[in-house]
Amino acid sequence: MAPVSQTVRVKVLFFGRLKDVVGQSEESLDLTEASTIEQLFALYSERIPQLAKYRSSVFASRNQEFAAWDAVLHPGDEVAFLPPVSGG
Amino acid sequence: MTTVLYDDIFQLVREPIDPHSLIDHVRAPEDGAIVTFDGFVRNQSHNRPTLYLEYEAYESMALTKMRGIAAELHEKYRIHRVAIVHRLGRLEIGETSVFIAVSAPHRADAFGACRFAIDTLKRTVPIWKKEHFEDGAVWADGELPPAPVATPRAKPAS
Repeated sequence: MAPVSQTVRVKVLFFGRLKDVVGQSEESLDLTEASTIEQLFALYSERIPQLAKYRSSVFASRNQEFAAWDAVLHPGDEVAFLPPVSGG
Repeated sequence: MTTVLYDDIFQLVREPIDPHSLIDHVRAPEDGAIVTFDGFVRNQSHNRPTLYLEYEAYESMALTKMRGIAAELHEKYRIHRVAIVHRLGRLEIGETSVFIAVSAPHRADAFGACRFAIDTLKRTVPIWKKEHFEDGAVWADGELPPAPVATPRAKPAS
């Protein structure tokens, strides 16, 4: 019998212009292996090629804190991709 | 560990902001100064007439960040209370989008803290503005928050 693969379920959020590009604001995703935030963004960029050009201006958060792109995701994490902020 | 509880206000609202209630909230007999910042919708952007603005936020994180700003204010300045309120949704020209009030025993701390609060909010709180013009709408360019440092790697055994 094949070993049961470990999946990591994360919630992914998009805001501002990224929400428009992706076409949705949130999604639950099952990652088949341990992934970093960078790999998660790359996964979306494969699905939506025009997303890639925003990579240099996008910030990421994990569980409501700004996070480094090499942060590894854990089950239940909430990841958000944030364009430059423009409140005020 | 001691947790200091301040009677501060952090809100994201969809109705018009009432500055007077916020000023009243931070005002106390032991204070001698209140400094406020009233940010409101300008009628143009880069010389293009603006019709209206739409604000959206990553609400849970925005509130956490606003709380963090207030905590930083209490560390850096001798202040009493802080109120930070940002409005979301559609805002017309002249309507207040953000209001900050800081009370302190003396004016220098109140001025410094209020300035620090709005500058930090504009750089770090996840809120976005869409500008609507006669010929379409665009997301405002925005500011980049300070880059988080990459996760430290375990040192290879030497």
